[in-house]
Amino acid sequence: MSGSDPFPEGDFQRLFATEAEGRLDTLVDELLELEKGGANPERVASLFREAHTIKGGAAVVGMPHVARVAHALEDLLEEVRRERRGVDTPLIDSVLAGVDAIRSLIPLAVAGEDHELAAFEAEQRLRIAVGGPPVAGEEAAAAPVPTGPDVAVAAALPVAAATLPAEPAVGALGAPPPTAEGPTGAAACPAPLSAPPEVKQAGPPRGVAARRPATAAPEPPPAPPERPLAPPEPPAAAGASSTAPEPSDDRGDAAQALDPVTGQAPPAGAAVSAHAEPARPAAAEMVQMPVHRIDELVRLIGEASAATLRLGSALLERLERDPSGMTEYRDLVRSLNELQELALRARMVPVMSLAPRLRRAVRDLARETGKGVRFETRGEDAEIDRGVLDRLADPLLHLVRNAVDHGIESPDERRLRGKPMEGMVRLHAMQLGSEVVIAVSDDGRGIDVARVREAAGSTDHTAMEMDDEAALYLIFRSGLSTATRVTGVSGRGVGLDAVRASLNAVRGRIEVRSDPGLGTEFRIAVPITMATLRCLVINSAGQAYAIPLHSVRAVLPPQPSATVGGRAMTMVEGRPVPISSLASVLGTGNGVEGPSVVVAGLTRSHAFRVDDLVDQRDVVVKGLGELIPRLPAVAGAGVQPDGSILLVLEAAGLIERARRMDSGDRSVEAAEGGRRDAPVARRAASILVVDDALTVRELQRSIFENAGYRVSVATNGEEALTLISEERPDLVLTDVQMPRMDGFQLTEAIRGQPALASVPVIILTSRGSDEDRRRGLECGADGYIVKSGFDQSALLSAVEHLLGAER
Amino acid sequence: MPTAPAPSVNAGQLALLIPVGSDTYALPLEAVREVVVDPRVTELPTSPAVVRGVFNVRGDIVPLLDTALLLGLRPVIEEPYAVLIETAHGIAGLVATEMPMTVRLSESVGHSDMEGTTETYLVGDSRLAVALDVSTLLSPARISR
Repeated sequence: MSGSDPFPEGDFQRLFATEAEGRLDTLVDELLELEKGGANPERVASLFREAHTIKGGAAVVGMPHVARVAHALEDLLEEVRRERRGVDTPLIDSVLAGVDAIRSLIPLAVAGEDHELAAFEAEQRLRIAVGGPPVAGEEAAAAPVPTGPDVAVAAALPVAAATLPAEPAVGALGAPPPTAEGPTGAAACPAPLSAPPEVKQAGPPRGVAARRPATAAPEPPPAPPERPLAPPEPPAAAGASSTAPEPSDDRGDAAQALDPVTGQAPPAGAAVSAHAEPARPAAAEMVQMPVHRIDELVRLIGEASAATLRLGSALLERLERDPSGMTEYRDLVRSLNELQELALRARMVPVMSLAPRLRRAVRDLARETGKGVRFETRGEDAEIDRGVLDRLADPLLHLVRNAVDHGIESPDERRLRGKPMEGMVRLHAMQLGSEVVIAVSDDGRGIDVARVREAAGSTDHTAMEMDDEAALYLIFRSGLSTATRVTGVSGRGVGLDAVRASLNAVRGRIEVRSDPGLGTEFRIAVPITMATLRCLVINSAGQAYAIPLHSVRAVLPPQPSATVGGRAMTMVEGRPVPISSLASVLGTGNGVEGPSVVVAGLTRSHAFRVDDLVDQRDVVVKGLGELIPRLPAVAGAGVQPDGSILLVLEAAGLIERARRMDSGDRSVEAAEGGRRDAPVARRAASILVVDDALTVRELQRSIFENAGYRVSVATNGEEALTLISEERPDLVLTDVQMPRMDGFQLTEAIRGQPALASVPVIILTSRGSDEDRRRGLECGADGYIVKSGFDQSALLSAVEHLLGAER
Repeated sequence: MPTAPAPSVNAGQLALLIPVGSDTYALPLEAVREVVVDPRVTELPTSPAVVRGVFNVRGDIVPLLDTALLLGLRPVIEEPYAVLIETAHGIAGLVATEMPMTVRLSESVGHSDMEGTTETYLVGDSRLAVALDVSTLLSPARISR
């Protein structure tokens, strides 16, 4: 059984990693609730329990170091549970730091990397934090409790000095909250999003004149004439609008919350099982299983369905029995369909499973920027495919951080504007048909369209003539930022375009609304699952293709086109739209006189002439495999019931290709130089991105992939060298500070190999010192880009320049 | 996890001989999953020329590659047979222009200099077969170049 053991140790560890992720999320969520609502024995017990379970799990799967940190975390929470340690900001920070440490240690442990030292440090920090202030009693309530980390630092420092002189005291890690936070429970903040997201979703259009809301120019909501953003109502609580919240408010809350603590402390050790988690299915009703097993299930069901259809045609052909007339056959087909639906449902997770991470980001950033921000969620029941949700995590994190950093004003500014001191960021999810709409809204200052126009105007003169709504969408352009001050968080002009790119990958779209002074709302609409896609099927040059319906804006009967500035244009809803023959864009044939399909990418539309329209179908989209390079114009393919393959086209790639051919950029054909359907020249160029930060890596991956490059990634120099030895990249882009082997060492290693001497290397780093720059160029780098001065177009042009020089 | 099959075939081993045009190539039999007769190929626009298209093998979408063009030779004209190969990057089909057959290879008669090939073997009385190096030939880098 050893050979086919379904659960080797690595699997256990991965399973534990998944489980721990959920528990850590819960822990953070409960912790932030605790911070908001004061000490609550049930919460503390629940926190303790999560830490305890993680400790046990880590020990079982052979992660002793993770177990040690979890143990220290448990001990710290035990002090709180026994009321020997009060709940204050430094405590919350310490626990959060512990959670972060565990989160980062687990993957190291799974990968078998050394993490003993990191674990030791994390454990020490938690041990130090135990020495915080005593539990808040009557006396503590009399003092303003959560004003800053001073208390804890004072208490913790001597210990820190004794045990770990090099380490900063835990309590000092977080920035002090500059102003008192607004009263937490005050129901004074207006809902910035009074109406639920109204994305036009009247079911898949059936007629030939299919229309969908365009991504770039969202139509106004159909029915309700109400304003999208409600004006802030005067706060109900008088204290909130006039001055800073009086300390007595906080005291009152704290005293109330603390009373039950002293009243009914759970017996030591009993808390582990004392409090059942409410609103969650009992553990016995849940099973956890690796996602790939569900995928396998879905695949097998798909195969069974295909086999059934083949059986049907065999019946008809060989026995001349029409299967559609057989009850048994119909039953089989129906059951398989239901089974498929159920299996797909098993991959679904609540959208709000992302909430803890976002809540945490809001909290940390609010403290960092000295703002009071409340994070609200709505739509607990909206579910989405796990794979889709994973891809949404970064874009949503980005939007939420933007909302806190750019949207929410400082408490002083809010007071001047008559808004509640505490700003609000809300995450709202809801299912609409086959899509989930997720809105991130804030009640902050809104987006200054004039500034957007100004920022874009330096490179695009049409910006000045755009109407407000069109100009607002300029924020999704690369390199555009209106933030005058570059913060540690945002304002570098790399952001919303990356959000858009990530959404593109999950066939989602984004819309924005903003009311100056009242707030901003971003709405993301994504398909619930990527497994099936509603498509319009057309014929072009004798072959059928599927075009995802979400990118089809309209279908036009055969009509004349006019040539404007050398480009063929046609009128769509009174606006000129470029038109091409799909066959010539795909290189499969010439122009035709049939109907056209107007396809909307993220920023522009394009009409494609086809032979004829066939029908609409749900296509189970599969990738084309690793062997074939990524084809921007082809999203994937589906196997049809008759066994044929239906290619699914990708709007954005198609439009890009058509534009390049249209604008006389002969590189499309030139690159193909006699070969049948060779890719565009630069698509063949491969870039190796080396960075230990997942987000940076993925951001760069999406930037380059969108620009048509092939991208591979490595997390450190060593890994990069291994990859390079397998396949020589055309260019290497590396971070400096990385574990195992840093960017300088990597560059030196590359330059040390004669076969690689001509591979351009760009160093991308947050260090901007002359010394570093000199060192980078000395060790043989061709370019040195500082992250803070980093914008997408500069990066792309640097890469293009170097690749051009090399060829 | 299936272990990766040997990238090329050696003397004394079973090989599948695939005729491509006027040439014959040898693949390690253990790397071959099956031979599909008259695959129904869907052309894949915008893909590299070496990709003849994709075809359906029991629900899997498999690329069909032009064996000759992969080796830098003149492309094949038709694709009457597809030899399914397991590679480190998934399954791929290689075009054979006549029915492939299995033989046990005798000693090598010489080294083959062509990139993506290893040794030359005498099969039958006067036919030469060149052993293909699957791992070199069927890599994303080679296909997209």
